[in-house]
Amino acid sequence: MTEEYYPWGGEFTIGASKGCVAVVLLNIEYTPPEGVAIYGRLKTENIGIEKIIANTISNPFLRFLVICGDDIRGHRSGSSLIALHRNGIDSNHRIIEAPGAIPYIENLKEEAIKRFQAQLSVVDLIGESDTGKIDAVIADHIQKIPPPFGEPYIALRLKPEITVNITDNRALHSRIIIDYMGKVRKRGG
Amino acid sequence: MFSFTQEQKIFDIQGISFGGQPGMYPTVLFAGLFFKGEPDFDTAKKHLQTISELSKQTGTPVIPDVFIRKAEYIPSILSFLENELSKKQPFSVDIIDPLIKIEVLCQLAEKKLLARTIYNSIHIGITQQERDALRQHTPAMVIVVAFNPKDTSPDGKIEVLENGAHLIETGLFHVIRDIGVEKILVDTAALAPGENSGAAIAAIPVIKEEYGLPTGCAIHNVVEKSRWLSGFNQAKKTVDAASNISIPLFGGDFAIFGPIENAEIVVPLIAWQDILVSEYTENYFGVNPISSHPRRILLQ
Repeated sequence: MTEEYYPWGGEFTIGASKGCVAVVLLNIEYTPPEGVAIYGRLKTENIGIEKIIANTISNPFLRFLVICGDDIRGHRSGSSLIALHRNGIDSNHRIIEAPGAIPYIENLKEEAIKRFQAQLSVVDLIGESDTGKIDAVIADHIQKIPPPFGEPYIALRLKPEITVNITDNRALHSRIIIDYMGKVRKRGG
Repeated sequence: MFSFTQEQKIFDIQGISFGGQPGMYPTVLFAGLFFKGEPDFDTAKKHLQTISELSKQTGTPVIPDVFIRKAEYIPSILSFLENELSKKQPFSVDIIDPLIKIEVLCQLAEKKLLARTIYNSIHIGITQQERDALRQHTPAMVIVVAFNPKDTSPDGKIEVLENGAHLIETGLFHVIRDIGVEKILVDTAALAPGENSGAAIAAIPVIKEEYGLPTGCAIHNVVEKSRWLSGFNQAKKTVDAASNISIPLFGGDFAIFGPIENAEIVVPLIAWQDILVSEYTENYFGVNPISSHPRRILLQ
């Protein structure tokens, strides 16, 4: 696996090309052992989680998601990720029973979330800071060598529809018009 | 440099004014005061003295934006603010955890500090308990963060303010009106590179023209998240400070920067930018800067 198989980008490190373990680092200084396919930090309970989903379901070899370290204060990103895996999202796209401040998944289809729930098993090591123990759990899962989960799922980032036809290319935004001296007024106002 | 057709509201807290047409009032700075672990009040006191002196020298108002991350630190931090700031100095409290927010509101009320408090912030993650606490212990001013995870464009930001963008049942403006706060600052929610980071700046004139409310953001957060800048150590701090000038340049009223250690660069930088804006807006739009504006103080 190379970086092109992790289509949404982000702050992560790529390791074993056909590894089955991905590691999410919360508040912890820790470098996962060789054999891990990908690891990186999770900060936010919305966009951060979306990237993890998109960048794991794109690699069918990934079957375990180890989440370790103390949870992020306020954001509670690790616990929100576990809530997403367990419960999914409600009709407002809020992660059901997530403890984070703004736990919304807005840029992924429900199908991608279902795929994430089916493909990955979550290994909850939130609060664990003993790196020896984390190493042991990871080694244990690497040895399992489960089969890959079918074909890669490349999640498309949902974009809001553009509803305004912008004909004035000097405008900063379709809602306003700025004249050549800097006077701002509402378009059509 | 802009002037708006929409009437621009001006909100005052303890003598510091936000809003109005660009060039009238100085850009207000919020200086992020973070404590790593146990609060170090000796160092914090020095930082408060520094921002106070810089503010006097330049005319740029600087408000400490105090980050509170643990409930156990609330009493000592609030006592520190009560004792070390002058009795008229406003401050903002920057808290993520809703439960800590509620506790801070209660303790601010006990200490009778709510009239000097800017609440940072209200956003779509607001809980019912937080709303109840805000109704009971209402701060003088609130920052509303127009973060819309579904649509990061200026339109998406307006949507969460107007109708909640199907993320919450009502728009954030309605939530704030319901709480009973009149003085609202709109934070356009600066996001990481790759997440439409420029929209936070583009949204400033859009939101000011739409609502006439004081508007700004924490644009330095985008710099913090620009990983590639780590390869340019010398430039990183300069870029971090310089990012703030985008806000007054696009008509904004306040910038949230951090950490407070950067004040010695950021405060004169913003004063310089305010002078630039003021010279044009007075000449072309006839906007007179107030007597405490950096242009009045620094250009004799």
